[in-house]
This record gives sequence, C-alpha cells and structure tokens, in this order.
Amino acid sequence: MQRLGGKVIAHRNWGRYRRLAPCRSLILVFVAAFSTCTYADDSPTDKAGSFRTVDFENDLIPIFTKNGCNAGACHGAAIGRGGFKLSLYGGNPKADFEAMVRQVGGRRINLAKPGASLVVLKPTEHVEHGGGTVFDMESESARLLIEWVRQGAKIESSRELTRVEVRPTKKVVRTTGEPISLSAIAHYSDGRSEDVTKWTIFAAEDSSVVEIEADKAVARVRRRGRHIVVARFLDEVVPVELIVPLSDTPVRLTKETQSGFVDTEVLRLLKTLGLPLSPIADDATFLRRVTLDLTGRLPLAERAKAFEQNANRAGLIDELLASAEFNEYWTMQLAQLLRIRPQRDDASGANTYHSWLASQVRAGINYKDLARTLITSVGDTAEQGPPNFYRTTGNAREQAEFVSELFMGSRLRCANCHNHPLDKWTQDDYHGLAAIFAKVESGKVVRAKPDGEVIHPRTLEAATLRIPGEQFLESGAANGREQLADWLTDSSNPYFAKAIVNRLWKRMMGRGLVEPVDDFRATNPATHPELLNQLAADFVAHDYSLRHTLKVIATSAAYARSANAVPQNKADDRFYSHAIRRRLEPEVLADAISDVLGVADQYGKNSPGTRAVALIDPKTPSRTLDVLGRCGREEACESSTVAVGGLPQKLHLLNGELLNARIAANGSRLRKLLAAGTSPMQIVDEFYFVALSRRPTKQETRHWKDQLSSIETPVAQRAFLEDFVWGLMTCDEFVTNH
Amino acid sequence: MIHQLRPVATPAKALLVLVCCVLSAAAGTDPPITATAFARDGRSLVAVSQTGLHVFGWPELDHQRTIKAAAANLHAAAFSVDGKLLAIAGGDPAEQGTVQVFSWPDGNVVATMDQHADSILSVRWIGNEQLLTASIDRDVKRWSLKEPKVPLQTYKGHSRGVAALQVLDDGVFVSAGDDQSIRVWDLQTGKVIRSLNQHTKPIRTTALRPNKGGLPMLASAGSDRTIRFWQPTIGRMVRYVRLERAPLQIAWLDEARVVAACVDGHVRVIDADEVKVVQDLPVIKGWAYAVSVHSTDGSLVVAGTDGQIRRVIPAGGDK
Repeated sequence: MQRLGGKVIAHRNWGRYRRLAPCRSLILVFVAAFSTCTYADDSPTDKAGSFRTVDFENDLIPIFTKNGCNAGACHGAAIGRGGFKLSLYGGNPKADFEAMVRQVGGRRINLAKPGASLVVLKPTEHVEHGGGTVFDMESESARLLIEWVRQGAKIESSRELTRVEVRPTKKVVRTTGEPISLSAIAHYSDGRSEDVTKWTIFAAEDSSVVEIEADKAVARVRRRGRHIVVARFLDEVVPVELIVPLSDTPVRLTKETQSGFVDTEVLRLLKTLGLPLSPIADDATFLRRVTLDLTGRLPLAERAKAFEQNANRAGLIDELLASAEFNEYWTMQLAQLLRIRPQRDDASGANTYHSWLASQVRAGINYKDLARTLITSVGDTAEQGPPNFYRTTGNAREQAEFVSELFMGSRLRCANCHNHPLDKWTQDDYHGLAAIFAKVESGKVVRAKPDGEVIHPRTLEAATLRIPGEQFLESGAANGREQLADWLTDSSNPYFAKAIVNRLWKRMMGRGLVEPVDDFRATNPATHPELLNQLAADFVAHDYSLRHTLKVIATSAAYARSANAVPQNKADDRFYSHAIRRRLEPEVLADAISDVLGVADQYGKNSPGTRAVALIDPKTPSRTLDVLGRCGREEACESSTVAVGGLPQKLHLLNGELLNARIAANGSRLRKLLAAGTSPMQIVDEFYFVALSRRPTKQETRHWKDQLSSIETPVAQRAFLEDFVWGLMTCDEFVTNH
Repeated sequence: MIHQLRPVATPAKALLVLVCCVLSAAAGTDPPITATAFARDGRSLVAVSQTGLHVFGWPELDHQRTIKAAAANLHAAAFSVDGKLLAIAGGDPAEQGTVQVFSWPDGNVVATMDQHADSILSVRWIGNEQLLTASIDRDVKRWSLKEPKVPLQTYKGHSRGVAALQVLDDGVFVSAGDDQSIRVWDLQTGKVIRSLNQHTKPIRTTALRPNKGGLPMLASAGSDRTIRFWQPTIGRMVRYVRLERAPLQIAWLDEARVVAACVDGHVRVIDADEVKVVQDLPVIKGWAYAVSVHSTDGSLVVAGTDGQIRRVIPAGGDK
C-alpha cells in the first residue's frame, strides 16, 4: 500500500479547474519547505528546525480561531456550515477532532495524501469553499495542518494550556494614533512557554475607536478615553485596557473631598484620564437625589425647607436608611430582582413571598442569608415565602439562568448550546447547574425531586450536577442545592458579593461598575476593578448588609457630585466626574406625580392611596404604569426592553390625562391652595419645593412674577397656575434624578 | 502493508472476537475502513478505505490483494445480486462522487460513473444491471451499466446529504440522510411517496430485515443514538431503541436481531422485538464504521479506525 499515491488532484482557483502536479510532489514540496525553514521558538519545530509533534488542541485550534473557521458566522455556528460543524472558538476540542477526523468516514482527512485532505483543500480554496480563500497553501496554517495529518492526525496532547499572559494588560498613551504593541505568551503544563501572538486574536470592543493591525498585533486608539481590546487564545480571553487621557492638561485632584475608598478609586481613574470634576451638588439637589435613591419618594416640602436651614447630610442618610419608606422602596427593588409576580393566576404565593421579603428588609437583611434561604427552600408556597423562588421560572434550565444572573451576575445562558464564547462557562456548567434545579419539584408545594434530571444536549445523557466553573458533584448527590448555597455564599466566592454591590452601585450612581450588571466576564471588565473589589470586600466584612453598602456609596463625594457637567467632562458617562442624570423609574415617577398633584392614582382594585412602589403584582391594571414603561418581571428588569422615558411617555405627559385630568381635579394640591386663598407666588414656591425640593431661583421668581402680573381675572390666574404646574411636571428637572 | 495479529482473548462470554487484522504501514496512521461486503460465495470479504479496495480471505481474514480505486475516498461497497459484480463508491470530497464496478472475482473495471458533485455514501444494486447511489450532494441517482456515463434518473428531495439507501420490492426504494428524514420513493416515477421524520439528528445508515413475510421492516440508525424500526410501505415507525453511543453502521444478524457498529468501537446486538441491547462488546479502538454479517456461518466482521478489521462471532451465532 502506498502512502503517497501519484494520483493527480484537481486544483480549482477562482472558479477554474486546472490539473496540477501529482499530489505526492506537492506534499514533498511542503515537507521540504518545512525542513528548510527556520522557525522562531513559537512554532512547533525544535531548535534543529524539524517538526515536533503538531498538537491538535494547542497548535491547530488557534489556527482555526485566528482564521475565523470556528466563529459563529462560519463552522462555529450552532448547526455548522456546509455540513461541517466546529465548536464555537474551539471550546470543545474533542468534538472538533471527531468532526475533522472521524465523521463521514474520515473523508476530511486524507492520511494517504495529507495535502489532499479536505481540511486543507477547502480553506486554501483548491476546492470550492463558501468562505473563500482563508489561507494560502504556502501559509504556516496550511503547513501545520498538512504536517499534523502526515503525523497521523492525532488528538493526543502532552501538554495543557495553563494560562495566557498578554502584554500589556493596561496601557496609557498620551496621544491618539500612537502604536501599542500587543503580545501573548502561552504557558503550558509541561513548563514550556511560547509566543503565540500571531495566533492570538486581538479584537477591539469598539472597532470604530481602536484599530488593530492583526498581522503586526499593533493597536492604535483613535479617540481619547478608555477602551478595551480583548485578546483570545484558545478558550482564554484577556481584556487589555488602553487609555488616552481626555485632556492634555493634567488635573489636580489632591484637594478634592475624599470620604473613603470609593473616592480614592474614582479620583485615581479621573486623574489618569485627565478628567476634571464637577463641583459637589448643592444641598437641595443632594436632598432630592438621596431621598429618591433611598426611599423612591420626593422629599416633603417641609423637609426641603428645613434642610435648607440645616443641611446635615450624614444625618439625613441615616434617617432615610432607617425609614419605613426605605423598607417599602427597597422591598420593591429586591422584588424586581427576584421577579416576584403572581404565578398562573395564583396571587397567594406572590403575596406571601412579597410579605416575607418585606420582613427581611425591615429586619436589616443579610443578603447572604437571604440567598441561602432561597436556594435551599422547600415548602408550601402559599404559606412560606422562600419556596416561591422556585416558581419564578418555567423549568430547571431557566432557573439556572435566573440564578446565575441574579447571584453571580453572569449570563450562563449562552452555554446552553455551546461553551460561552466570551467567558469561561461551558455546557457542563450550564446543564450541571440546571441538573441541580431539576431535583426540585416546583409546584404549589416545593419539594425535593430525587429523580429529576436534565438531558445534556451533547451527550444526550442526564447532565451531572455541577457547581459552575468549579466541580461536578458526586453522582449520588440527591440535592446539590446545599452545596451550591455553600459555594455561592462563601466569602471567597468571586461572584456573589460583586454581583449585588454592583447592582447597588448602579441604583445609586446610574451606571454599574460592570455594565450590564448581569454580564460579569473577563471580556467585560469593570470600569473601576479595584473599587468593585473593595466594595465587595467591605460588603462581606459588614455582614452582607445592603444598608451598609448603600451608606458607603451615599456618603461618598462621588455620589454627591453635581450632575451639571463642566465643558471638559461633558462626554463622561461612566467615570463619575459628574453625577449621571437618570430618569425616574416608572413606579417612582407615578408616585411622584401623585404626591405633587395631591391626587392619588388608582391601581387596579387596590385600595385608594396605594403607592405604585408597594404593588406586588407588576401587572396590576394601570394606564399610568403602562405608559411609563413598567417591568413585568418575567425577565430581568435590568434588561427590560421597555424604553423608559421614551416618546410615548413624553407624549402622555405632555398631552394625556396623566397630568391634565388631575392638576385641577377636586382635592388636588392646586385646588386646595387656591381654596385656602394662597397667593399665586406662594403657590409657585410651594410647587417648587414639592416637585423640585428647592425654592425658585431669583431669575425664576422674577419670571413668574412678571407673568402673573399681567393676568387680571381669577379665572385666568387659575388657568395660568394649572399651566405652570403642568410645565413644572414635564420639565426634565422633575422627571429625572440628578 | 498488512499486519496479521493473533486472535484476541474473549472479553465477554457472549461474543467471541476471532481474528483481527490491521491495514497499516505504521500502527495508528492508516485510514479507516469505511465499508465491508461479503462475496456471494462467502469465502472472501472486501473492505474499502482511502488506500483502495482490499480483499481478504474468510474466515481467516488473510489479506489477498489490494485494488486501486479511482476515488480518493471510498465509503460503500456492494455486490450485485448474482455476485458477479462489485460496486465501490466514494469520491473526491466536495468535487465529485464516483462509482466503480468491477467484475468479480477477477477485479477488472467494468464501468465508472462519476456524475455526482460530491462523495457517494451509499450504493445499492437493483438486480444485476442497475445501481442506486446516494451522495453528499443531496441527490440519489439511478444508473445502468449499459449507459454508465449519465444517470438514468436523479431523485431530488433531500435537503442535505444522503447517507443510506435500501431497495424494496415492488419498485420502491428508501433513502435517508443528514436532513433526519427517511424518504420512500417510487423508483420509476421518481416521486416521494412519503417522508418519515422521527429521527432528531442525521441518519447514518439503514438496513432491511431479511425477508420474513409480511410488510418490509427497515431499521435506521442515527446520530441521535437511536435505532428505529419502520414499516416504510405504510409509513409507520414501529419502535425504537436508544444506544449508549451513536451507531455508524447496522446490519441484520437474523430476522430478530440487529448488530450495530458504534463510535466507541463497540458492537451492540439489539433484539429488534424487545428493542433492547442484548450484547455489547468492545471490538476495535476508535470508531467502528463498518459491520457486515456473513450469510451462512453466523459470524460478522467489524472494521473502522486505523484500518482495524475483526471477525466476531456473537452468542449463538457459531454455525
């Protein structure tokens, strides 16, 4: 039997067939080329220049990734391409090996004539290839492939990738366009290290801002600011932070107010970026901001007036954190996080669950205990709150997605179909976590279900219970929830504390340190990684207390900064050089409108006066909340597709009954003030305090006086004041927290 | 080069692996054997791989000769009804599908058909003069030895590659493939009579039960790890069994049992009435692509990765 036959192979290039030299000759040329080449240390040759064993996983899969073969748009797609499927970005080398070597009778590999292997002929387009010419026959990619086939197309590997070292991981350059060289070194279990820069993909998060010269591994930043480049080699992804200061003028921040590690870290990055600060917000603005953030309410007019005289900010924060309003509002926040809602027309469970949650908040919630209680819960959902946790989703897989996003801030859902392309999560992690929840019967009564299982789509067998990213549980583990809760709430858990403090930070500051807040991954790094670490550590050190972390944030200078940008920091939307102006949440805005107008809204069949933030059922009939864009809690509210503050809301505010029908309704604040004989300017002052928590400026006062002085009749005056209230409540200052 | 190996010990009482043989220049680097077929006289066996057509004596599995093939890859082999012709099929991947017909036993090329646009995965005889071929190019073609340059008919309907064919009586044949469907065709009109769609992953192979009277019974094996039993003429799936690993080739051992060569190199014997695995034996290392049952001695041959080929006698099969 001849290993190298003399059969003539067809060569097609750009759609034209022509006959080439015998394949044997072709192969000999390649082999000769190998033997005479001098390779750098990073090629699979030894110092004498001859080939060492070409390693399928460590040498070939990076080729496929670098050339895009296993990308989602090509053979890495869920159903493959052209009948040939590779795992996404080489996440499953064994499956890739079988696809290349074993499937369809091994037709993709020609052991007798390696150069005639389909895996070589296709990407070099010697036969028609839907993806066009991916690399030349003379390229190192082709030569490695051929050599691997020549060596017998084996999967065995003597080494394992332990880590990839990317240099630099952070680089500050002074000017745009300055070249930044990137490199990647792979470290293997056998102690060997290789420069794998040429097989590493460097991809800018925003390719319109950072240019990458792939062949040279050089990056150039085209716009000032902080940008991320993701380096990928095999299944390792490493973020690279590139910074070009926003200003050439150094900023001096040494004299700025600092109240702890929050300010230290925020100022550190601002200094690097050359971003100047906005001043600290005035007392009235701070009062309104912190009251809205901690209680979901506007400050009472009396409180605003008193704070004008005695602005004890620290005392105010303590008072708000201890208030009943805080409990009500943060119960809603957590209810949204836990997606509490009636299930299958059964409101009793949701009521019990909400009531239990409210009691936890009142008692000074320990978030670790709350998580453990929820995860390990069993019982009648009508009588006990926590078991309702298992009625949140429809099945074990959805529960795995929910739990990972809730308690880990990670999106495991991608790993349902394939190993996560941008993170460490594998299909084993996803289905292993789902297998834990499959052992829960989640009916009206939640109980253990020892024979529950989910089928792993790759093996078509019952998935093995697994702590994601960590370990498989013993096959006899009937209930992995205890072990999951142990791992999740351990103080060393890398996800749990960060996920919740990041959410708290977003709630207070308008943007998460990691954004989206449920998408923690190496390729989506925090804007302030050290701040996130310290917040998490501080949270753990203070008994997982939400109130404590909220206080840490609320007492920082970063939180207290004005929302009014200075010209040099106007473009900043994530570094906290100024406060981020935020739309009021639908429920908060609905309540604020009711409070200012003095006319309560009606929510379904709830008793009159019920506040929107106190609603248990997120689908309680309410035209107001529909228009304002509420979250139904079927999915995470953080990723709600409803556009809060969009055009419908604006039109409704401007023209709809939400305001117009209530401004002058019987019993409204305006009607009462008019009936009491309050002067027009006093009414103006009152509404300023109620809606904006401040008195009018001198300029505003002058304006309203001028306007009112030209009105002669009481009827006209009343109509004018109605217009004034309408105008006040549609202005940006009212509908935002700033 | 052929390496004759000593008989291996019996790993399970139920099955006996008698003789094994490896086609190899260096162990572990030879192409896989992808199909096997017994000559009608039962005294020789053919096996195909990228290295050509190999002829072995039976039952010793002694290598007798190698015949060079026109195609780079070979995937199928079938003897004509009278046993005087052998068709082997395969192709040059993504370029052409080729069938070569040899006179037997002298091994001279009688005809070559090469109108498929991609490799042929299955070939079946209709009597002694016509052939059916199924290709990755999604087509099934019917050929006549009298006019081999162009097909008599092309059957279009599968949305992905076609991997398996069986010819039933009464002018009907069935095809199956990557689109997970089994299609029942009228041979003459070329119309699809029905389509059977219960498989949830690509179908790799089919086998027709030896005539037992009554309706034809077809077994199909797929990447969904199931073997499904059908009465294709009435469109009924009778039952199915799910194996531990995916089957690649199946054959009827007798009227009641099917043998399956699987991706783990095991051969599994399935009771077709009880739909359960009654024997499971590791036979080769790697994937077992081919299994053929000898017509009289009760043994079978299994072949696959690295050119391994072995004779196996299942429990109660030694005649």
